[in-house]
Amino acid sequence: MSTGNIKKVLFKPFLFILFLIPLFSVFIGAAEGGPCKDYGECDDFKYSLNDFESLQRGAATYINYCYGCHSLKYSRWGRVAKDLKIPEDIFFENLVFDKSIKPGDLMIGSMPAEESAKWFGVAPPDLTLVSRYKGDDWIYSYLRAYYEDSSKQYGVNNLVYPGTAMPNVLLALQGNQRLVCKDVPIIARNGGQKRDENGITITEEKCGFLEVENGTGKLSKEEFDSLIYDLTNFLVYVGEPAKATRERIGWYVVFYFLIFTALSSLLYREFHKDYNKH
Amino acid sequence: MTEIAGKLFTWINTRLPIANTFERHLSKHPVPSKVNFWYLFGALAAVTLIIQIVTGIWLIMPYSNTEEQAFSSIEYIMRDVDYGWVIRYMHTTGASLFFAVVYLHMFRGLLYGSYQKPKELVWIFGCTIYLAMMAEGFLGYVLPYGQMSYWGAQVIISLFGAIPYIGESLELWVRGDYYISGITVSRFFALHVVALPLVLIALVFLHLVALHEVGAGNPEGVDIEEHLDDDGVPLDSVPFFPYKVLNALVAIGVFMTVFSIIMFFFPEGGGYFIEMANFQEANPLVTPDHIAPVWYYAPFYTMLRAIPDPLGGLIVMAAAVAIFFIVPWLDRSNVASIRYKGIYSKIAITMFGVSFLTLGYLGTVGVTEVRKTMSVICTVMYFAYFLLMPIYTKYETTKEVPDRL
Amino acid sequence: MQEKDKTRRKVLIGLTSAVGLSGIPFAATPFIAAWNPSAKAKAAGAPVKLDVSKMQFGQQIQVSWRKQPVFIVRHTEESIANLELGVTKLADPNSDQIEEPYKGLNPSRSKSPEYSVFSGVCTHLGCAPKYFPEVEPKPWDATWNGGFFCPCHGSMFDIVGRVFKGVPAPTNLIVPPHMFEGSILTIGEDKEL
Repeated sequence: MSTGNIKKVLFKPFLFILFLIPLFSVFIGAAEGGPCKDYGECDDFKYSLNDFESLQRGAATYINYCYGCHSLKYSRWGRVAKDLKIPEDIFFENLVFDKSIKPGDLMIGSMPAEESAKWFGVAPPDLTLVSRYKGDDWIYSYLRAYYEDSSKQYGVNNLVYPGTAMPNVLLALQGNQRLVCKDVPIIARNGGQKRDENGITITEEKCGFLEVENGTGKLSKEEFDSLIYDLTNFLVYVGEPAKATRERIGWYVVFYFLIFTALSSLLYREFHKDYNKH
Repeated sequence: MTEIAGKLFTWINTRLPIANTFERHLSKHPVPSKVNFWYLFGALAAVTLIIQIVTGIWLIMPYSNTEEQAFSSIEYIMRDVDYGWVIRYMHTTGASLFFAVVYLHMFRGLLYGSYQKPKELVWIFGCTIYLAMMAEGFLGYVLPYGQMSYWGAQVIISLFGAIPYIGESLELWVRGDYYISGITVSRFFALHVVALPLVLIALVFLHLVALHEVGAGNPEGVDIEEHLDDDGVPLDSVPFFPYKVLNALVAIGVFMTVFSIIMFFFPEGGGYFIEMANFQEANPLVTPDHIAPVWYYAPFYTMLRAIPDPLGGLIVMAAAVAIFFIVPWLDRSNVASIRYKGIYSKIAITMFGVSFLTLGYLGTVGVTEVRKTMSVICTVMYFAYFLLMPIYTKYETTKEVPDRL
Repeated sequence: MQEKDKTRRKVLIGLTSAVGLSGIPFAATPFIAAWNPSAKAKAAGAPVKLDVSKMQFGQQIQVSWRKQPVFIVRHTEESIANLELGVTKLADPNSDQIEEPYKGLNPSRSKSPEYSVFSGVCTHLGCAPKYFPEVEPKPWDATWNGGFFCPCHGSMFDIVGRVFKGVPAPTNLIVPPHMFEGSILTIGEDKEL
């Protein structure tokens, strides 16, 4: 074996180890606390901006339960009606309570900021862009993570946002959610459940589970989750109204450039044949 | 019709050297016949610069550079202006890809010795372009006046405060106010849209003029001027037009495909191209939990954080960029390309690449003890590549460069 | 080079250029469309509503629609009847030379026989004509029947905004789309149009 070959053989593993360093850093990065705090991992949310019924229900929920305090000041009434395919007269009849509002007006809210700051300690933020700076996963988890806590001003606290200033506006729909403790199976190192010698699963008491007290809410758990799904979906829409259009046009543009690349590379190869002549 | 066009062309051509310039710089400009994909990023950088200028001009029109309106004018562009979102995302995607392409272009230079005699000036103009781009990118990021604009600028401007004696007054002078206010935004706006683009265009022009004077390089590090045909044209060359233009066209096709995938499907780039916190309006009273620079400054930001002393950090960060300028004089090798350099050069450039990527990653995440140690190690590795270059390039055994391409 | 290769080359050049050039209109679309009035401009230019029942007979008011003055005149029966007298002075009494939305509907040129609604921008150079309803000799016309006189260049219009012969203004004042719902006048929108 020549020295060159030895060098090559030594060099390859060396390179390999060096490139493991960035991977290693990614690994040590995984230990950070997530944005959903005490809730653990945020629940995964998949928006569906082409499901207009979901968006319409979400808009109705937002306007009925949230808009009283939270404006959507970069969004316009008429644009929402148009994008969500709600006929303008039905939209204005049912969802716009102030009759002086015109379709082109911004959804600037109905509550003066100083007034609300007095009530809640802080002025309720504008939520036009909440899905962009908090993320849809966060919203979807947050709105479902309220629990009873008598030490707080409104009698509720939140696992995702401990000490939140917002009362649980949807309490009547969801019902009383509490933090409970449960007996859960112990997970063994190999990933299976731990069992004693008789084959019975060993359990331990763990706390921090959310559970709704039966019969206290107007909606079942599934119905409530779907209500929050629609609401979050609407907030994703309002965070970027052009998002659905963007993703639709994107396919055409990418397709166009693929064709262009294919053709130009055929052309380049054709001319490449001349190289040998030089 | 053709006759009139021909006459018009002759009329102009006798007054403006169109045909001449076309021949000299395109159809008869010789470039090495065999290069690899690394040699295409320059053309892509030029394409991106054009995209940035055109979309930039269109963004100036609806943008408002006041403290009250800056943030909402971005949302106005995203919602109320027809197709405003296309133009804005093109500009944000373009900014990130401009840096990506330029980083690859610069790394090509290090790989194949594109700074060696007589290309020193091409390299120096290039480094200056990079410096101007860093300033341009920073100023542009402040304009939306979101939380990251504000706090990012806060951190960068405080760097001036680390300069002894004049620091504090310099900071105040740069801001023109006691915080980063509308006054700061509007002067940054002027620099971002007029001053620096002019500088960039002038530098790109000089970069190209110098390049066409000394000729493009190749991955073998062969001097193609050594073997000429009877007409004085290098034997291992092809004319720039149409051969290299067509090659660039393919590269542009691939690049634009990537560009559109990002722009239409991942415009925020997972928070690396547009940070999530920047969708909240600047609030001087609330610091975001986690201040991270945009990815393209991340390696230098990590170096800044790795040094406990602010002034020391500033010096190290500035040195990390400045050291690129003297690379032509650090490399003492008798060959240009990494293909013929010795084992030490190969190890060194790998270490440099790895440390740069790791520094980049570390800059976008929070600080822990382990990470702090890693960033110090990587900073040392980064500088070792440059500072040890005169030694390892001089004393290693190189392979013989072939005569022809 | 062989003949076959030459053809292949030509076809490929043609195809690549065709695909490349066909992208230009699409790439230009956002840049052209971005110059259209934005949603904000459209909202500011939205239709204007007002109650005209409080106007007195013979009164003229001015409202702003898209930052342009629009004149509303409430006519007396007498002044409508008098319109016929001045017809010979008019350049285009039936508004044949312009796009008239409610042509031949009412002598008032609007959707209501009682009110006139027209733009307050002189068709000459854009000044705002002034309302002189009195039927009396005026410095600019000894047989003035009431109407609008433009102080800039002396153009004259009758009380429903029709231009006189021999004045600088070339056409009648423009009637914007409008509608009446009871006494509520909406300027800028007409659901029947």
